[in-house]
Amino acid sequence: MLNKVLIQDLIAAALSTGGDFAEIFVERKRNTSMNLTGGVLEESVAGRDFGVGIRIFNGLNSVYAYTNEHDRERLLPIVLQAAQAVKGSRQGDLTLDLMVAPSPGLHGIQVNPIDVDQARKAAVMREAYAAARAYSDEITQAMVRYLDEDQEVLIANSEGTYVEDRRIRTRLAVTAVASNGSQSQTGFYGPGAHMGFEFYDTIDVRHYAREAARTAVTMLHADECPSGRFPVIIDNEFGGVIFHEACGHGLEATSVAKKASVFADKIGQQIAPSIVTYIDDGTLPNLWGSQNFDDEGALCRRNVLIENGVLKGYLIDKLNGRRMEMAPTGSSRRQSYKFAPTSRMTNTYIAPGTSTPDEIIGSTEFGIYAKYMGGGSVNPATGEYNFAIREGYIVRNGKIAEPVRGATLIGTGFDTLSKVDMVSSNLAHGQGMCGSASGSIPVNVGQPMIRVSEITVGGRKGK
Amino acid sequence: MNLHALKEALFARGAALGFTDMEIFYQSTNRFSGNIFKGEIDRYTIAVDGGLAFRGRLNGKMGYAYTELIDDSAIEMLLDGAQASSNVIDSTEEVPLFAGPFTYETLDLFSETLDRITPEERIALLKEIDAACYAADPRVALVNPCQMEAVTTERLIANTRGLERGEKLNRSMLLVRLVVREGGDSKTAIRFLPVADLGGVDPRALAREVVDEALSYLGAEPLESGAYPILLRRDAAASLLAAFAGIFSAENVQKGRSLLKGKLGQVIASEAVTLIDDPFLAGGFASRSFDSEGVPSRRVSLIEGGRLNAFLYNLKAAAVDAVPSTGHGAKASYKGAVGIAPSNLYLKPGALSFEEMVAATEEAVIITSLQGLHSGANAVSGDFSLAASGYYVKGGKIVRPVNQITVAGNFFTLLQEVEEAGADLEFSPGLAGYLGAPTLRIKSLAVAGR
Repeated sequence: MLNKVLIQDLIAAALSTGGDFAEIFVERKRNTSMNLTGGVLEESVAGRDFGVGIRIFNGLNSVYAYTNEHDRERLLPIVLQAAQAVKGSRQGDLTLDLMVAPSPGLHGIQVNPIDVDQARKAAVMREAYAAARAYSDEITQAMVRYLDEDQEVLIANSEGTYVEDRRIRTRLAVTAVASNGSQSQTGFYGPGAHMGFEFYDTIDVRHYAREAARTAVTMLHADECPSGRFPVIIDNEFGGVIFHEACGHGLEATSVAKKASVFADKIGQQIAPSIVTYIDDGTLPNLWGSQNFDDEGALCRRNVLIENGVLKGYLIDKLNGRRMEMAPTGSSRRQSYKFAPTSRMTNTYIAPGTSTPDEIIGSTEFGIYAKYMGGGSVNPATGEYNFAIREGYIVRNGKIAEPVRGATLIGTGFDTLSKVDMVSSNLAHGQGMCGSASGSIPVNVGQPMIRVSEITVGGRKGK
Repeated sequence: MNLHALKEALFARGAALGFTDMEIFYQSTNRFSGNIFKGEIDRYTIAVDGGLAFRGRLNGKMGYAYTELIDDSAIEMLLDGAQASSNVIDSTEEVPLFAGPFTYETLDLFSETLDRITPEERIALLKEIDAACYAADPRVALVNPCQMEAVTTERLIANTRGLERGEKLNRSMLLVRLVVREGGDSKTAIRFLPVADLGGVDPRALAREVVDEALSYLGAEPLESGAYPILLRRDAAASLLAAFAGIFSAENVQKGRSLLKGKLGQVIASEAVTLIDDPFLAGGFASRSFDSEGVPSRRVSLIEGGRLNAFLYNLKAAAVDAVPSTGHGAKASYKGAVGIAPSNLYLKPGALSFEEMVAATEEAVIITSLQGLHSGANAVSGDFSLAASGYYVKGGKIVRPVNQITVAGNFFTLLQEVEEAGADLEFSPGLAGYLGAPTLRIKSLAVAGR
């Protein structure tokens, strides 16, 4: 993408004003996005992204510059301009020996979607659309979005790192709308993977489309959710978003390093019941949040964050690692060259426990069952999180009863963690896009079915 | 890069391949962003970037492509990409390109004053603000981020129907977010400020304001669940408006994604509600003389005294309804197809200040922050259930801070239950445009807490 000599020269230029670390990130990405609404394939965009990000450290100060210029004559002045913001003392001549690190090749790709004819992609979309519409007469609209991307990155730094990685990702997102004239409700499912077009040989898109349609129809006939404090049972897969918000973001060095997180200075402490083990693992083969290398050029790895309720570690990037005097954890990520990397989640999940889903529901006298979760957000400084239940039910006398809609769960990470009282064994992962300091990135959230003994549930029905 | 030469070559090659209508859209950005953390430069970002989008009609269907790498292969990539795109799409909808009249407002969008400010001057001001925040109160634990961003954006559009138009805009904003701690209690406050020139910012006053707000939340507790009258503070009102701005898109109306379908000319809100989209707003972050299709921008009154007056159109949606485009064709960047989005969208302010509104309140919950708008608000049904915080008001006075509550309601119902709009109109930048609102008095919303 850029030749090695130019990269060495850029690193040398970046350090010319006394910086103590410099990094070059080169990205080339081809992508396809297509939209189908009401049976009509309305939109198809082919894109090519290219850019270079240059990062310079001087102690705890960080300078970042990015551009989509690609030739030496234009890149060098930008790097030198960035270097002007560094006011250090020059360290002497740089001897840089860039060593190419071999990729572990954890995420094999069979069919690069860029080579697949658009008509085959359209056929997948139409299949999903038809399945959603066929589910019920009450499905009045369905939207299908298709995405694929082939991201090639080159990461080199003044410590001698030189790696290349290729991330091929594929995703299909189905939104179904159910209406009865005056009311509309929606359902959504968005399966995705770090896979090529062969992804569609491994999943039945009709299943996801029907699930989206079923959620929409179920919610159309649902009563408003009551509000109050109840036991809440959160099912597996995308249900893991609760921990992503309540806990995961607070364990990122982005907030921990500046002690802006409620989880700062708590390593070794029991912060959850012993049935809770929480892991971030970027190496899981072909999962949506996986990569071979992180965006600082370190190998992705498995990081145990909470083990049997005890806080074991954080997700740490290079810069925050300096502030924390701790080593990076191979989970630094960025949306694109337009963002400096920082500590982020990859595939984060609660490890399976010993209860069964039947035991959890059967032992709940009254509560809320969240079959599917929507998205949420958190304020790491206070630990306050919120998220939406996409498909919810009342649990009454140990049985799943009538569906309820419009429920929001709120709480603080610590409180919710301490109230996890059952963890089942049916671990599964769901796909999402996570937005934070370094942009919007693909992440998996996962868990088996869990129960939290009390969460504040906000609904429109009142008490 | 010589854009004019590239355009000529691209259109010529495209015509040879059979493309009939063709358009290019180029956007470039020059960005500076600086963060101060505890007196030191924490992050410092400079960027020069841009991208070129192409769309063209082939066999009657419009294909789209874009590239950020503008090299010798760019023309071929764009034409190949657009060709593959146009092959796959269905051709039921006409996507017209703008053919005039090319008559535009002359706007003053580029400030020389702003352009002359150096990064050093910005950093110096940030350091003053950072220091002033810590000095304002010993309970200030963290100021993060203390950030200023300055962006210059240049847009160019040209098509084979005679359009060629460009515009340059620069804007700068300041963001201060801080954490205060007392005992085991942490609270945060955030303030966004558009910056026209650095002299207009008083570091001490700004610090005082943000610190006081954060301190005012210490000791917050949930409320008893129930229905409460609501004062939706200006920033919270603007964030709610942003989540539901899509209901005014003609495309959403046409496709059954907006419940405003068939309501044009009807009363959909209380008399206190007047909603205006003004692309000519002085200092507006989304101000412009033309939209992403080159259509001249114009001011549109969407709701006038409660009556639904208009929808927002791009050319495609306008063709469907056989009306002129309102000039609201929008691309988030050069990526993606042309959608519909507001420019500077705001609710018209009323007479009373925020303080006067509070004083005139017997009992209410003031909502100062709404969280979870991307997941807890359904733009199709209008339903929302959102995490919120603010204050409890009794007898015209703020009694105590409130947190860990949710407020639930329906946006369409809320519009009808706006009893009063305050005078404190304020804008904040969002993904959907540049949105503004005054504080709104709402008859009631369901609050869930204790």
